[in-house]
Amino acid sequence: MTQMAGTGLTTTASGNPDRPYDDVDLSTRAFWSTDMYEREKSFAVLRGRDTITWHPPFEDQLIEDPADHGFWAVTKYDDLVEATKRHDDFLSGPGILMENLPVEFVESAQSIIGMDPPRHTKLRRLVAAAFTPKQMRRIDEMIQRNARDAVTNLLEKAQANGGQADFVAECAELMPMNNINDMLGVPDGDRQRAMHEMKVATSWSDPEMAGDTKEEVLGNLFRAIAYCHELAGGLADERRGNPTADLISGLANAEVDGERLTAHEIGSFFVLLTVAGNDTTRQSTAHALQALADFPEQRAWLLEDLEGRMPSAVEELIRWATPIITFRRTASRDTELGGREVTRGDKLVMFYSSANRDERRIDRPHELDFSRSPNPHITFGGGGIHHCLGNQLARAQLRAILTELLTQAPEIRPTAAPELTPSNFFNIVKRQQCAPRP
Amino acid sequence: MKINVDLNRCTGHGFCEGLAEDIFEVGQDGVAHLLDETPGEDRRDVVEEAVAMCPTKALSLHEEG
Ligand code: HEM
Ligand code: SF4
Repeated sequence: MTQMAGTGLTTTASGNPDRPYDDVDLSTRAFWSTDMYEREKSFAVLRGRDTITWHPPFEDQLIEDPADHGFWAVTKYDDLVEATKRHDDFLSGPGILMENLPVEFVESAQSIIGMDPPRHTKLRRLVAAAFTPKQMRRIDEMIQRNARDAVTNLLEKAQANGGQADFVAECAELMPMNNINDMLGVPDGDRQRAMHEMKVATSWSDPEMAGDTKEEVLGNLFRAIAYCHELAGGLADERRGNPTADLISGLANAEVDGERLTAHEIGSFFVLLTVAGNDTTRQSTAHALQALADFPEQRAWLLEDLEGRMPSAVEELIRWATPIITFRRTASRDTELGGREVTRGDKLVMFYSSANRDERRIDRPHELDFSRSPNPHITFGGGGIHHCLGNQLARAQLRAILTELLTQAPEIRPTAAPELTPSNFFNIVKRQQCAPRP
Repeated sequence: MKINVDLNRCTGHGFCEGLAEDIFEVGQDGVAHLLDETPGEDRRDVVEEAVAMCPTKALSLHEEG
C-alpha cells in the first residue's frame, strides 16, 4: 500500500466490505473483452438506476490489495460532469485508472493527469500555449501534410498488396504520431519506437502486446516506460542549452517556483503527451472507418459537402468512438454524489462511453447522426481542470485525415472485423484490414 | 462590463479563447490575456458563458461605474 503525499489516501484501497454490490458485471475480463455495443447493454441498465452504483474491484489485477473493496460506477451524464467539476472532492492524485497498477509505473507515466492543484495548475501552464485554438491554425499546414502523407501511404501499401492494407498501421496511427512528435521535437526513427513502446504500456490486458504472465507484463511495462524516459532525458539534455521551438525544449528550460523540472518529471510528461497524442486519435480514426461502413446514408450525406459537414461529422464520430472509456477519481472526504453517500477514499470510475449514450442528454444516442447539433458529448471530459489538453489538436487532425481519406478514397471499406485489444481504459482497434479502392 | 482574470487560478485551458477569440487569448505564459477588457454589451452572453465554463473559476465580470 502506498500512501499519497499529503492526502493520507492510498492508491489502491477503496470502500468497505459491507457495502452491497450492484449485480451488473463491470469487473470481469470477459465483460471487457466484448465490444462497445455489447457493453452498452450493461451501461444502459446502470443508467436506469438513476444514481451511482457500487461494484467489486476489477478481477485478477496486476496489483491486488485486500483493502480494495471496489468502486463507484459513474454512468450518468450529469453525475459524470458533476464529479469532474468537483475536483476538490474527487481527486486525481491517488490514481486515474480503473485498475491497480504499480505505483512506480503510474508515477512515471501520468504527470499532470494524475495531479491535483496547485502542482497541476503550474505544470499544465507550461504546455498550454502549444494547444490553443489559435495555435492549431498556425500549425494547420503541418497537420494537413501529415494527413496527406498517411493517406498516400495507405494507398501505396494497398496497391502493392492486392488492394488491401491494415488501416491502423498504414494510416490511422501515422498522422497523430507525426503531429505530436513534430510538436514535441522527437526525430524520425525514435518516434516510431516511442509509439510502439507506448502501445505495449497501454496494453497490459493483451497477451500479444504485453505478455502472458504477470511477471512478463510488469517487465514489459517497465521496459516501455524506461525507454521513453531515456529518450526524453537525452533530448532534454541536448536542448537545455540549445532550445529549439518544440515542447521538449520548453519543458527542459521551464522553471516552476524557481526550480527546473526533474528528469523524472520531464520523462513522465513526455510519456503522457506521447500516449495521449498517439493513441486516442489513432482509435478515433480507426473507429470512424467502421462507422462510415455501418452507416452508408451518413457517409453519403457527408460526401455531398465534405468541407461544410466535416466539423459536425467529426464531433459525432468522436462521440461514437469514445476512445477513452474510463478515468478514475478518489473521494477526498465523506460526501455525496447522485444522492448516494460516498466515503473518503472511495474510488469512482467515470464511464465516458456510457455518459455519451445517456438518453437524458443525448437525443437518440444510438443513432450516428452527422448533423447532430448541439452535440454535447463529453468525450474530452466533463469540463473540469483536466479537460483534454489536446482536444483542438485531435479535432483538427480528424477533420484533416477524414477529408483527405474521403477525397482520395471515397469508397474505402473495412474488409474484416476490427481486431480489438481488451481494455477498460482505451477503446483500442489493434488492426483493421481495409480496401481503400474496392 | 469589465472582465478580470485571476492569474493565480487560470490554467490556460482556453475554453474562453474557444468561445471568443477576439476577447481572450492564452499566451506563451500559459494563462489567459484579455485582448479586450471591456467588451460591448452585445458580447455579454458569450462573456458570461466563458465565466461559467472556466474550470478554475478564474474569470469574473464587474459592472463599471
Ligand atoms: C479523440 C482524441 C482524444 C480524446 C478522446 C481525449 C480524451 C481525454 C480525456 C477524457 C481527458 C481527461 C478529461 C478529464 O479528466 O476531465 C484527457 C486529458 C488529456 N488529454 Fe486528451 N484526448 C484526446 C486527444 C488528445 C491529444 C491529441 C492530446 C495531445 C497531447 C491529448 C492530451 C491530453 C492531456 C495532456 C490530458 C491531461 C490534461 C490534464 O490533466 O490537465 N489528448 N483527454
Ligand atoms: S477558461 Fe479559465 S482557466 Fe482556461 S484560459 Fe480561460 S480563464 Fe484561464
